[in-house]
Amino acid sequence: MKRSNDFVVGLTVLLGAAIIIGATLWAQQVDLRKRDEPVLARFRDVGNVRVGASVVLRGVRAGRVERIELGRDGWVELAMRLDPGVQLPRDPVVLLNEASLFGEWQATITEESAIPRDEAVTRQIAEARAAGGNMLPGATLPDIAQLTAVAGRIAGDVASVAGRVEVAFDDQAARELRSSIRNFAAMSATLEQTVRLQSKNLDALSGELRLGMGRLAGSAESVQSVAQRIDSSTSTGQVRHIVDDVATAAARLKETSEEVRAMSRQLTRSQGQLELVLHRSDSVMAKINAGHGSAGLLVNDPALYRNSDSLVTELRSLIADFKANPKKYVNLRIF
Amino acid sequence: MITAIGRTVREGVEGVGRAGHFVAESAGATRELRTWLPLATAHARALGVDSLPIALFIALFTGIVLALLASYSFTGAVPLYFVGTLVEKTVTLELAPVLTGLALAGRVGASIAAELGTMRVTEQIDALETLSYDPYAYLVVPRVLAGTVMFPIVVGLAMVVAVAAGWAASILLLDISSVDFVKGMRLFFTDFDVRYGLVKSASFGAAVTLIGCMCGMRARGGAQGVGQGATQAVVYSATTILVLDAFWAVVWLLGKSR
Repeated sequence: MKRSNDFVVGLTVLLGAAIIIGATLWAQQVDLRKRDEPVLARFRDVGNVRVGASVVLRGVRAGRVERIELGRDGWVELAMRLDPGVQLPRDPVVLLNEASLFGEWQATITEESAIPRDEAVTRQIAEARAAGGNMLPGATLPDIAQLTAVAGRIAGDVASVAGRVEVAFDDQAARELRSSIRNFAAMSATLEQTVRLQSKNLDALSGELRLGMGRLAGSAESVQSVAQRIDSSTSTGQVRHIVDDVATAAARLKETSEEVRAMSRQLTRSQGQLELVLHRSDSVMAKINAGHGSAGLLVNDPALYRNSDSLVTELRSLIADFKANPKKYVNLRIF
Repeated sequence: MITAIGRTVREGVEGVGRAGHFVAESAGATRELRTWLPLATAHARALGVDSLPIALFIALFTGIVLALLASYSFTGAVPLYFVGTLVEKTVTLELAPVLTGLALAGRVGASIAAELGTMRVTEQIDALETLSYDPYAYLVVPRVLAGTVMFPIVVGLAMVVAVAAGWAASILLLDISSVDFVKGMRLFFTDFDVRYGLVKSASFGAAVTLIGCMCGMRARGGAQGVGQGATQAVVYSATTILVLDAFWAVVWLLGKSR
């Protein structure tokens, strides 16, 4: 009986202790093997995150916060134990935020490109990254109390504005407002008439515009037709032939131009020679006019002319006498 | 009236003094290892192992009722996975130790008081003293040590059964998935919850057995005195459990939350 008691009590104690310890470890999600190193992150403030809080990756629970410690230089270091097989995203950062309205916080691992566009968060991430080390940069999002405080301030401002409106909106303001509304109604009627008139104008204008657009469309079709022709000409080689002819003509024109340029240079030279000849002729003529030389004397001496004339006359009479009496002048003998 | 007040105060002081003397005598008797050690496992079986069915039965229904009450309270306002949180926290921190302690106070405390009371009125304890046995080492110490050791085991198993019952009730009777319940249960779970409950239950075990022994050893007269001693043991044990519960909450929980 005594041994039976010992066995039963021992078995109960051992089993009870094993069950209690096992259940506690299971509830705490303790990794007894501890094969993977925890993922470390650095924060300035971890808010209301506690050991055991969920670690969320793309909205799925992927681990738990294992340790929170104060670090150097005012940092708080947070160790997260991820579930087996969980892969971190590219360029990961850790955001601490409220998981619900009941004070429950969680650590969300996300890509840096996916963080909220908030200046404070961006600054915290940059600061944590600049600190270096083998830790993920982290930032803490504002909790519901901070958001409520901001909302409270906004509500206070709205209440203040409403109070001022209430003060400003007395009986006179109401009458003025009614008058303004009447004026506004009249203005609306006028505006309606104007709009109706302008609407007609706009109808006419739009008709003309439509006509213009039709013409423009016709022109566009013509242009398109020309473009098609050009396209077809291009495709059959005519334009190419024309361009070749133009190139040949340009080459010939260039040759002709060079020839004209050469002729021009020859003309320039001929002009110079001509000017020289004329200059010399002018000099000769001046001498002739001055009566210098044989030619001058021949041109300027009347006696010479007269002697020449007399000579010609006598020569004519001689020729006539010769024709009349050749034997007088010619005596032909043979032997 | 003044006389009545004076008598009440005197009796109270005397009671505290007797209790202190009893505890001191019991502590001193622990040195007689050869006397109490062979008896310890028998008492451990009687106080602990044999108390498991009633303790686990209570825990089973406590867990179920807690889950249902939590679900009823949270409808519409609080996410239902907090049912798991509430069941785990309430069971480990409070209900399992206190309810089990109260149940064992009735079973164990009354049993010890009746047994020792009978021994007292039939002068068996006097006979032990005549045979040079220390009644504290022979009767009190093995029971107190057995209660102190076995109460946490019983309460720990009650915790597991109560949470499991709440879990099963959430799945079967409520619109809560197993994943949600476990999520809520793990959300704020720390090993401190279990340590707190187990230490508290150890103190309950020591108090219930000490009070049972004290009431039994003080029994006078015949069967009526034995019955009175058993009744006093249950009442004092239940009261002491609640006082100790408050004590631990003030000393340990309050200090931790600060």
